[in-house]
Amino acid sequence: MFESTTERRVFGAAVLVIAATYGYFLIFAEFAFLELLRETGGVGRVRLAMGLLGVAGVAGSGLAAWRFRVESYAKALRWGAFGCALAAGLAWCGGLNLAAVGIGLSLGWLTVTLAAGLRATVGPKRLGLAIGLGTGLAYAACNVPAIFRATPQAQTGLALGLMLAAVVATRGLRTGRAEVSSSGDFEPRRAAAWTVILMALVWMDSAAFYIIQHTSELRAGTWGEERSLWVNATIHFVVAVGTGVVLDRGGLGRVVCGAWVMLACACVLLGEQLRAFVGAEVLYTAGVSLYSVALVYYPARGGRAWLAGVVFAIAGWVGSALGIGMAQDLNAVPLWFVIVAGVIVVGLLLARRRAQAKHALAVAAVIGLGSLTFPATSARAADAEVLRGREVFIGEGCIHCHSQYLRPRTADVMRWGPEKPLAASLAETPPLLGNRRQGPDLTQVGNRRSREWNKLHLIDPRGVSPGSRMPSYAYLFQEGDGRGEALLVYLASLGVETDELRATQVGEWAPAPGVSGRRETGARLFTRLCMNCHGAEGKGDGVMAMRLSVRPPDWSRDAWRRVDAADEAGTLARIIKFGLPGSPMAGHEYLRDEEVVSLAAYVRSLRGTGP
Amino acid sequence: MANAVGVWLAAELVWPALGDALAPLSYGRWMPLHMNWQLYGWCALPLVGVLLAWCVDGRHPQVVGQVRVVLGAWSLALVLGGVAWLGGVTSGKLFLDWHGWARAVLPLAMIVLWTVCAAHAWWRRDVDSGRVKGLRGVILAGLLFVPGLLYWSAGREVYPSVNPDSGGATGTSLLGSTLGIVTVFGLLPVMLRLPVCHLLSDKLPGENGQELKPICHLISDKRVWSAGWFWGALAGSWVVFAGIDHGHASHHGWAQVGGLGLLIGWVPLAWGYFRRFEWEAPARPWLYGAFVWWLLLVVTGWLSFLPGVSERLKFTNGLVAHAHLAMAGLVTSVNFVILRQLAPRREPRGNFALWQGACVVHVAALLALGWWERDYAGDLFRGETWTLVLYAVRLAAGAVMLAASVRWLAAGKA
Repeated sequence: MFESTTERRVFGAAVLVIAATYGYFLIFAEFAFLELLRETGGVGRVRLAMGLLGVAGVAGSGLAAWRFRVESYAKALRWGAFGCALAAGLAWCGGLNLAAVGIGLSLGWLTVTLAAGLRATVGPKRLGLAIGLGTGLAYAACNVPAIFRATPQAQTGLALGLMLAAVVATRGLRTGRAEVSSSGDFEPRRAAAWTVILMALVWMDSAAFYIIQHTSELRAGTWGEERSLWVNATIHFVVAVGTGVVLDRGGLGRVVCGAWVMLACACVLLGEQLRAFVGAEVLYTAGVSLYSVALVYYPARGGRAWLAGVVFAIAGWVGSALGIGMAQDLNAVPLWFVIVAGVIVVGLLLARRRAQAKHALAVAAVIGLGSLTFPATSARAADAEVLRGREVFIGEGCIHCHSQYLRPRTADVMRWGPEKPLAASLAETPPLLGNRRQGPDLTQVGNRRSREWNKLHLIDPRGVSPGSRMPSYAYLFQEGDGRGEALLVYLASLGVETDELRATQVGEWAPAPGVSGRRETGARLFTRLCMNCHGAEGKGDGVMAMRLSVRPPDWSRDAWRRVDAADEAGTLARIIKFGLPGSPMAGHEYLRDEEVVSLAAYVRSLRGTGP
Repeated sequence: MANAVGVWLAAELVWPALGDALAPLSYGRWMPLHMNWQLYGWCALPLVGVLLAWCVDGRHPQVVGQVRVVLGAWSLALVLGGVAWLGGVTSGKLFLDWHGWARAVLPLAMIVLWTVCAAHAWWRRDVDSGRVKGLRGVILAGLLFVPGLLYWSAGREVYPSVNPDSGGATGTSLLGSTLGIVTVFGLLPVMLRLPVCHLLSDKLPGENGQELKPICHLISDKRVWSAGWFWGALAGSWVVFAGIDHGHASHHGWAQVGGLGLLIGWVPLAWGYFRRFEWEAPARPWLYGAFVWWLLLVVTGWLSFLPGVSERLKFTNGLVAHAHLAMAGLVTSVNFVILRQLAPRREPRGNFALWQGACVVHVAALLALGWWERDYAGDLFRGETWTLVLYAVRLAAGAVMLAASVRWLAAGKA
């Protein structure tokens, strides 16, 4: 996992500093300090001190963002930790208002500095894991019964000790190269969206925490028993570490969505009717761990000090103040608020996805233009369009009627072949083997259907193939909607490399010896399958003829176009069965030999050359 | 809901223009709703009910609210899944369509279910025997992995073994999934006989009006645990499963065919096990029905896996018939055994026959279509009259089954 001992040591030191910082915040700033305030004064004093703490927190965050230099990362952290320890000491001695200012300033400084330099210290690959481990350790430790139930003075002493430990741990840090993420997630507009998302989560958490803390029944249910505390500690640790791993795999959107779902469920379950419901406790605990890791990870991933400052000042301090204020006033989290928060979180994430899609298209367009001079990039652009078309294929549920698997040694191979190796099918994500066929297999459809035919068929399936059960996909081809074109590119890509093999396969085919045709069968099939393009008498005047790029011939007048005069019956049968690749003339691969022979004989009779 | 969507899909196959009218909500977008709502709704929810009935402590003052939250979360997950699939957000994997923003919704609902079950199991630990606690612990420990497994398996990068000669499931996969059903069969009598289910439905008062104690009497009943032959055979079957090739194995291999054939033995074994118990009178017709379907399912499942037959039926309506035989026939019958056992009540007049009769017609029509499809695929693709007639018969049978479901719904509300 680590390439050197130094790397491991730096990672461990970073985890310790994160754990100490989060531990200080959880056990002291958010908990013991409030108890000390309550012990020494009324509600008014608590509000004043909390107000001071919040304002100082925003100021400390801004200051840290302004003064941040990656070269002096460890030193800045030491100053922050030292300031936090000093503030805890002040609180212990009774100087609570001054301590509130000190906590706000130093904690604001410490958190922003910590997040801004983590990427340069542990690198982007294990960033989520480091944050998850540190956060999980802090949450787990704070839920250990002996710590959780200690007196506020003892907890304050512990917080002071944590900060001194952080000062020592910073000596193990080694600042790497200052680098920032180039992802669009950190551009100002998207950063604003992420800040709003994180603020909504902090808001919900703070409100839920306040309600639990101030409702004796809930407090007893959540933190009352030793068992509950151990369960909470375990959930916190497991979820935080798991979240870190997911974040390292690019799952930030999933994490915040999951956090919202869990916090939203917890907030709803905290309503009057369902109080003491054990699910609220579990969901709240897991949801908090999820978003707490994301809250540090997002700015840390960006590697920008200003971003860390904005996130912690607005999402952290302001969001927290709003949540506590709401809980104080309403003593509940209104359902409308949960829904609005959800709309904001999901809405902004969806907007982000759309922006990413646009970005991908723009990239594809640039690559496409570049292809005029660089053929290699052209292939990449084509690949992107194929992938997009594949997504359309999946989204529209084409798999429910069309397989993409040709069973070896069966009629499948002659109808729609050649075979495709199983390994090649399974290498695709996901494989689209299918389950049943309301229509033909599409494994190699690119070698037997032209783009033109596919488009016409998708828009007007029963016009092109009378009797087809396929619905119209005309909506994919509306102006401005590129899905239809992408789907055509995808279909054309299927089996594109098998043209020659298919041609050989088709060339070797002939109806079974001794099979004879029947005029009635031929006439019936012609009316059913051919008349729409070729017209009732083969004059090329069918209702679809005008929509084709190549008008069908008038057999009463024109010469055969692609029929070998030396083997008229055989060639015609082959064209009827397999079509003319590249042209609008599609095959009818599923016809049985007697049907093909009957149809060929009927067509020849229309031209006057039949038997 | 799932049946209604099924009828809509069947109607689209008879009148394809119907699909155009609802564009872009095309046939392919509705299919995941039908399949997943059947699986995770109709097939799963009665089992969720069994689990809740077995785990929840009826003495808890908020038990009803908590069960409603569980069922609400599960239903919400299904609704959100439906919205996603109609919107074209799907993994492209049948029965595992959970994808994108909707990938986690059912696992989250499962977590809510597990949390409630685990909490109640903990709260009632003082009144349960050690054996019950142990069994409950083992089952809950196993279920803890299910949400994560579902989330993982819905990923596009995960795909099961494939039979290279058919493009479908291997014999090993089919054996494993069916043995899973047999295991559920084995546990059902254990879990259904707990009186907690009566507490939930308020059907059976305690003796002399005293408060009911949620103690599992049946666990001490020798009839369950003395059926050692059943559990021994099940363990043996799982050992056979473990020993068969789990890779991309063909149905032309004797081990795959023989291994799957093992299931035929489970027709008399399961029957012998189930008949040891006293089932509520309203549940018995469904039990008999379930075993007729079980017999058909196992035998036809094995036959359709045989070389030659598989080639004829794969990718056709024949296998769709088999899926309906399993879902509409066996699973529905088992579900009604569960429902009638949990809350014994009479059927709406004639509904049993209505459902079972329509199911037979439905399966027969699809099987007939599937049997001829290999040689007459063109007739199906271009909508020849005989294929339309069979699809129309299937539609009519589906409509009758939908009507029967509506009658059950109405009777339940009454």
